[in-house]
Amino acid sequence: MSVLEFVANGLVFSSIIVLASIGLSLVYSIADFANFAHGDTMTVGAYAALVTFGTVGTLGGTVLGLPYGFFVALLAGTLVAALVAVITHKVIYEPVDIGSIGLLITSIGVAFVYRSVIRMGFGADFTEFGIQVLRPIEALLPYGVRVTEHDVAIVVSAVVLVAALHVVLQYTDLGRKMRATADNPDLARVSGIRTNRIEIWTWIIGAGLAGAGGGFLGLFNQLSPRMGFDILLVVFAAVILGGIGSVYGAMLGGVLIGMINQMMPLISNFGQYAPLVPNEWGIPIGIEYANAVAFVIMVVVLLARPNGIMGESAT
Amino acid sequence: MASNDKRVPNRRDVLRVAGIGGVGLLAGCVTSTDDTETETDANGGDGGDGGDGSDGGDGGDGGDGGDGGDGGDPYQIGMVDSLTGSLSAFGERNQRGVELALADVNDAGIGGRELDIVIEDSQSESQSGVSAAQKLVNQDEVPFVIGAVGSGVSLAIYQSVVESTDVVQLSQNSTSPDLSNYPGLLRMSPTGRVQSGALAQIIADDGYDSVAVTYINNDYGQGITDAFVDAWDGDVAYNQSHDQGQSSYSSVVSGMANSDADAWLFITYQPEFATMAQEAYSSGYDAQFYGADSAKGPNIIENTPEGSLDGMKIVAPSAAIDQDNYQQFASRFEDEFGNVPTAWSAYAYDCVVTAALSIHAADEFTASALQDTVREVTRPEGETVTTYADAVEVLGDDGSASDVDYDGVSGPIDFDENGDPVGFLQIFEVQDHEYVSTGTIAAE
Repeated sequence: MSVLEFVANGLVFSSIIVLASIGLSLVYSIADFANFAHGDTMTVGAYAALVTFGTVGTLGGTVLGLPYGFFVALLAGTLVAALVAVITHKVIYEPVDIGSIGLLITSIGVAFVYRSVIRMGFGADFTEFGIQVLRPIEALLPYGVRVTEHDVAIVVSAVVLVAALHVVLQYTDLGRKMRATADNPDLARVSGIRTNRIEIWTWIIGAGLAGAGGGFLGLFNQLSPRMGFDILLVVFAAVILGGIGSVYGAMLGGVLIGMINQMMPLISNFGQYAPLVPNEWGIPIGIEYANAVAFVIMVVVLLARPNGIMGESAT
Repeated sequence: MASNDKRVPNRRDVLRVAGIGGVGLLAGCVTSTDDTETETDANGGDGGDGGDGSDGGDGGDGGDGGDGGDGGDPYQIGMVDSLTGSLSAFGERNQRGVELALADVNDAGIGGRELDIVIEDSQSESQSGVSAAQKLVNQDEVPFVIGAVGSGVSLAIYQSVVESTDVVQLSQNSTSPDLSNYPGLLRMSPTGRVQSGALAQIIADDGYDSVAVTYINNDYGQGITDAFVDAWDGDVAYNQSHDQGQSSYSSVVSGMANSDADAWLFITYQPEFATMAQEAYSSGYDAQFYGADSAKGPNIIENTPEGSLDGMKIVAPSAAIDQDNYQQFASRFEDEFGNVPTAWSAYAYDCVVTAALSIHAADEFTASALQDTVREVTRPEGETVTTYADAVEVLGDDGSASDVDYDGVSGPIDFDENGDPVGFLQIFEVQDHEYVSTGTIAAE
């Protein structure tokens, strides 16, 4: 099996992690707390997409093996996740004035509420969008890369969303205000920026990306009430590795953590893939420790750069 | 985070159980009084049992007088079941089997008395299971405990409550090979070791000499896999565990493909297996799949692409589906509950009947007396009977435990020296994206 296959798998998984970690980092930089409900926001988006997809159907044609209806569903999932997050912000996070640790604990409670509501509505069992699972793309098989058109769709969509966010942050008025608010909220406020509105926009963008990530996670794997919570730890690792509060750091961290997660077999069979070393060489560690290894690498990076890879530069 | 995740449902469960328990206790008080009355009435009307009644009245007969004092009180045994928690689906099936068994037992009666089962919830967790068993053994003073579902829970109950006493423990659903190391702990479901052996046999019979195995990273997965590797003569090209609830298992799937083994064995749970089957399909890998019973379920069929599992073979514990007594049980079950019984209901049914028979055959209703009879009533060298009513007829008023050999709806039972039953295993094959039973094998 070629290293390329691991890279391809890693890229697909990274795309989902990146979408989730950007939102988490963005919310941290502006609302100033680690939102433990972020994973369950992904679940909300995924289930909203599921319901929408069930209602609108396939809508005729397909792009990259995905029916048009799925993209409509994904958009609906994004909007619902954003809406739920904004309502939560208005009803819960804004009125409870208890500092970042208090908000962190509150967000754990919010996560339970999201998950329980979904479990009540859809049951604890896993389910699927019901889109035909594809076979790998024939043209790539000779290179040892086994990806489906769905995988390509996930990567392309993630790249488009990340690029759009980059444009928004760097070249629009909203982006400049968001960066200013993240940098110094008080200074931003006295400069005439309505930071309350910026906060709401942050929630919309962050939760929206999480909702899209949830939709892709459901496509990539399956939907279950725990899907977002189960991936949250990895997402946190990505965000902290990249430098919490930095959007570009979150992107980089997401790619790194996703890659490490999928490339675990390379570590135990190191010798078979690296030139100049005997085939038997390798670190004997099972793939069930993928997350542990990801965290070890995170800790090592933090020892060298305590603020994460991109920690110094603001948003 | 994980502990937080557990804490909230726990608290809710505790409250709910406390509530249900409270109501249940009240209801229990009321019902038992009623039962006593009807019981006495029934005895009076029933000519055959009249003898017992007059024994009770006969003050001159000292020994029997003691028995008569208990009169129509039902015999009370206990059961620890997973009414809530992660194994509550099993608990529900168990309760249905118990309900049918109690009806059968009380139709025929145990020497004119009824059987009453005090049911406690284990919440599918060891700690709650142990408290439930402690309550049954110390407060209710039952000599016979049916329990529990999860292997870890059964073992915890045995080690901390039952082992130091004479109380009989009969687990209804535990399959971990570890339980065989505790001969005092009986169980109705066959050990996972036989499942592993059967899998090894089937894979070898299909002509494979190399196999890739992946298993869920817990006691169950480890136990079944270790037993499989022991039983398997060929080469194990890939043998790695995976964690529950991961978002991607593509490194597991590509690792199995990389091992060049054509037979892949999955000892894992349903969501995990569904993900792996999808990933194998979308990576274009083709292999002959095999699975343990936990990797089988309707939601796997629903959530995997058509044709992706065809030819997969699964070995699962089974009731004695070819026997008349099982077919009667199954049709009654369907009438009562609207769906076909699973093997797990049949095990619970047989637990209750075995308990009733051991009480019937014992000289007195004590734990040590039941210890002597519980194994004997299901073993050969007695007359083979397949229903409780037949067994009562054979036993008569003074039959001994070795006079009957109860063959239950789940199989011949015949507890061995480790307390494991002889059960049946059923082989399923996926054909046209549906599970089709292709036969049963006896497991010893």
